[in-house]
Amino acid sequence: MTLDAARALNKHAVSKLVSVFEDTRPQAAGQRAEILDALGPARSTVIGITGTPGAGKSSLVARLVPAMLAESDLSVAVLAVDPASHVSGGALLGDRTRTRFATGEKRAFFRSQSNAAELGGLAPTTFQVTRLLKRLFDVVIVETVGIGQSELDIRYLADHVYLVLQPLGGDEIQFLKAGIIEIPDSFILNKCDDPAANQSYYQLRSSLSLARPFDEEVPPIYRTSARTGEGVDEVATAMLAVQPRHSDAEREEYFFGRWVEDEWGATGRRYMAGRELLAGGFDAAQAQFGPGIVEWLGKVE
Amino acid sequence: MSTPAALPERDRPWIIRTYAGHSSAKASNELYRSNLEKGQTGLSIAFDLPTQCGYDSDDPIARPEVGKVGVPINSLDDFHVLFDGIPLEKMNTSMTINGTAMWLLALYVALARERGEDESKLQGTTQNDLIKEYLARGTYIFPPEASMRLIAEMYEYCLEAIPKWNASNICSYHLQEAGATPVQELAFALANAISLLDLLKERGHFDDEQFERAVGRISFFVNAGIRFVEEMCKMRAFGELWDSYTADRFGVTEEKYRRFRYGVQVNSLGLTEAQPENNAWRIILESLGVTLSRNARCRALQLPAWNEAMSLPRPWDQQWSLRLQQILAYETDLLEYPDLFDGSPVVQAKVQELMDEATAEIETILGMGGVIPAIESGYMKTALVRSMSERMSAINSGDQIVVGLNKWTEGLPSPLTAGDDGGIFKVDDKAAEAIIAGLEHTRASRDTARAEAAIEALKAAARDGSSLMEPSIECALARVTTGEWAGALREVFGEYRPATGIEGQQLGLTGDRVEVLRERINTLAEQMGHRPRIVVGKPGLDGHSNGAEVIAVSARHVGFDVIYSGIRLSPDEIVQSAVEEGADVIGASVLSGSHIDLAKQILEGLREQDADEDIAVVVGGIIPPADATELEAMGIKRVFTPADYELMDIMESIVEILEAR
Ligand code: B12
Ligand SMILES: Nc1nc2c(ncn2[C@@H]2O[C@H](COP(=O)(O)OP(=O)(O)O)[C@@H](O)[C@H]2O)c(=O)[nH]1
Ligand SMILES: [Mg+2]
Repeated sequence: MTLDAARALNKHAVSKLVSVFEDTRPQAAGQRAEILDALGPARSTVIGITGTPGAGKSSLVARLVPAMLAESDLSVAVLAVDPASHVSGGALLGDRTRTRFATGEKRAFFRSQSNAAELGGLAPTTFQVTRLLKRLFDVVIVETVGIGQSELDIRYLADHVYLVLQPLGGDEIQFLKAGIIEIPDSFILNKCDDPAANQSYYQLRSSLSLARPFDEEVPPIYRTSARTGEGVDEVATAMLAVQPRHSDAEREEYFFGRWVEDEWGATGRRYMAGRELLAGGFDAAQAQFGPGIVEWLGKVE
Repeated sequence: MSTPAALPERDRPWIIRTYAGHSSAKASNELYRSNLEKGQTGLSIAFDLPTQCGYDSDDPIARPEVGKVGVPINSLDDFHVLFDGIPLEKMNTSMTINGTAMWLLALYVALARERGEDESKLQGTTQNDLIKEYLARGTYIFPPEASMRLIAEMYEYCLEAIPKWNASNICSYHLQEAGATPVQELAFALANAISLLDLLKERGHFDDEQFERAVGRISFFVNAGIRFVEEMCKMRAFGELWDSYTADRFGVTEEKYRRFRYGVQVNSLGLTEAQPENNAWRIILESLGVTLSRNARCRALQLPAWNEAMSLPRPWDQQWSLRLQQILAYETDLLEYPDLFDGSPVVQAKVQELMDEATAEIETILGMGGVIPAIESGYMKTALVRSMSERMSAINSGDQIVVGLNKWTEGLPSPLTAGDDGGIFKVDDKAAEAIIAGLEHTRASRDTARAEAAIEALKAAARDGSSLMEPSIECALARVTTGEWAGALREVFGEYRPATGIEGQQLGLTGDRVEVLRERINTLAEQMGHRPRIVVGKPGLDGHSNGAEVIAVSARHVGFDVIYSGIRLSPDEIVQSAVEEGADVIGASVLSGSHIDLAKQILEGLREQDADEDIAVVVGGIIPPADATELEAMGIKRVFTPADYELMDIMESIVEILEAR
């Protein structure tokens, strides 16, 4: 029942399934496996949008989604991650504030997540939820908290990563922060309604060719303004054309490792090394990991 | 402070104002006429929220609000009724109108033209300060740049065509109601006025002589709070700062054009629902701040009523406040003396301190490029929400005493609330149907081709940058409606949603109660498999955001995941947010009086989506006891009013609702 309604993109039904994939209780793993089984193979692409807070990621998403809906008959889900308070654990889920999709538009779905006060740009359950959304929607957009420690996560999660930048004053070349510039597949220079944008664009172009000598060709740099809508259609078209890059197996392997690290730390990594834990599927592996490692620890000691 | 050349023996009393809204053009017209017969010469018009926000009365978002807090105006036909039998040339008409100020002025001019009255003799004021709308009052429509353009065009039109019209009124009143400190009130209002003058200068429409006169037309609408000594000093600081900015930055040489002219409404934020009779004393003390010092005395004063936190005032409540002013002006010896504080070192030092701090803040804002960037970046709004959160925290912790609310709360029951009506005003909400019929008649009887052409010409002017005043007047004459005028400009300029200012805010509350609540929420999170989520929603056109902001900040402070998307969302949008986000609770805040309609729409929306079992709904705001019972019968889980000022109590009751599931 719920599954059929979710396939028809009924919002409440989709939302309830998303909640299962966000559920932190152990018994949810079994439910997830059943749901995925019933829904069949994933079919969509995942687009990653990253960049420093305030660059205009959410504002762009608010523009891009309607443009994508207008340009195609595909459906689009957005998963937006916001930072949580280290003191109370609560988060202000502010990305949604920027968007205002038409009510009742089933082809668009927006869900906010809290990063649960962890350092990464994603929520602990972001990967889980994309597993679901990829079976329901044609395109899944993930907006990260911002550029930071574990940007590698988004690289594995997404088939194409867009880094959103805003024009800079003067000639500081901040774009070049080590590590960051190597992740994105494309660049978006937003806020091009700002006169400083032109200069920033040329700086970015020249610094890119220096910083990424390994690229065969200079990656695309789009120029947009979420305020005026300039350049948005072009990015929307590009996003619709993105092809899958990772297989689900690759993704599962990476995020299983991340999960083990979060939950069990270095010990978990050691236990994992050399074992074929994922043979029975991701959810089963998670369910069996706890008992397995406990037993192993008992023997080691 | 500059002293007027020759002081009359006794100062003239300030203008005594009352401000009221009425349900229809016809009812308002009757009231105006009876007041005019009694010798009143000015009109002060309150419009309903749809008119203020640019919607026709039959727009779905307008329906619950039609005629509630003021008169609905859909087209020039309504203006004919509103001013029937009232000679415009002789009236001083003040309109509390902002987002659609140009439209209402255009209607007024069109009315004069149609009636053959002399347009150049019109006198009055359109409030027309959009900066404070983004920050506090909420009836904005377009983005800041477009809004400022409309204001500037009105100054440019009025200066020669209607020289006695005040195109706008810079308001700090609303900022204090949204939590502003005296320094913030000074700084934000003055930065606003300075930015407006910068814009007028930059547009180059005025020559130097005209520019000086335009400066002279700028007047202010200020607040006066309970700390009346400091408030009196604030008024003196306002006067001195304005004098020096207009002289130094704008080179205004005529002293009279540099004078700080201001009207006042005293503070209402501090008026309580608990022991409401105490408010009468608060209102008197607040009046002192703006009347005591002759050199900083207001030109006009309007007062709220003792039952401010309960409902709109009844006629008797207004009369009681009016009498207060009359006693102050005519029974006391207040007006007989020259300034009482000139030369006081204490006052001088306080004024200097306020001026220094305000100047620093003004320079910060001007350094950002003026008020437009300071709105767009959320800088000013964030500062206000911070002040408001600090204020609420201080009241909660007891550091700030509010008599009858957090101290000396025991008392005898008040006879003022013992009457049949409980001291509460009931709005006649039957008027809406007749109004919508009138609107339909206008649409059906007008020359469609002329109306369409007028709208096209308006859009063309909006695009090419020429003045929108004449095209708006033509729209008025062609019987274009309020919703159509605003809709056409929305198409060109877009609609604006300003920053909510709540990001990164916290309460100043710590200690056991907070810790225990956080623990309870952590436990709930483990049991439910997710951290509890609340959507704080402001349905409809109500712009009172303080309560929603404070609740959103409090909820995050104790550990909820919070979604708050600002004011003016439809019930459907709020339901959709809650459903998509998998929220556990919707907390709707409604202070406009439309809580029954709006709560009904939210509950129906949830039922339609089959989500009513999963999402609990609580409501807060100005809700009379009888309505609270009705809401709970409807399925609202809890109702909160201003008497529930303890934020941790509120959070606890929401947690209890979730724990009980
Ligand atoms: C401050 C204020 C304003 C400010 C608003 C600033 C802002 N950004 O919020 C300004 C000056 C802009 C303003 C304007 C107007 N106002 Co006013 N305003 C008030 C005032 C004085 C205080 C409200 C307030 O902010 N209190 C402080 C906050 C923290 O308290 P609160 O909102 O009540 O919230 C508490 C509880 O109610 C509860 N709560 C509230 N919401 C929620 C939600 C949830 C989920 C929960 C759990 C709890 C909860 O918890 C909160 C914490 O204690 C009230 C009267 C009064 N004293 O209450 C009038 C009042 C609300 N305003 C009124 C009116 C008529 C107007 C105007 C229409 C006047 C006009 N014609 O122009 C305009 C309209 C503006 C608009 N766009 O809608 C009327 C409403 C009449 C009615 N309901 O019948 C009132 C009652 C005054 C009166 N007696 O006439 N106003
Ligand atoms: N001038 C301008 N401002 C923008 C643009 N895009 C976003 N902004 C503003 O930048 C701020 C941050 O935007 P937001 O979308 O929340 O950024 P995020 O943190 O990257 O998601 C907001 O105040 C936006 O209004 C743009 O294209 N031009
Ligand atoms: Mg964002």
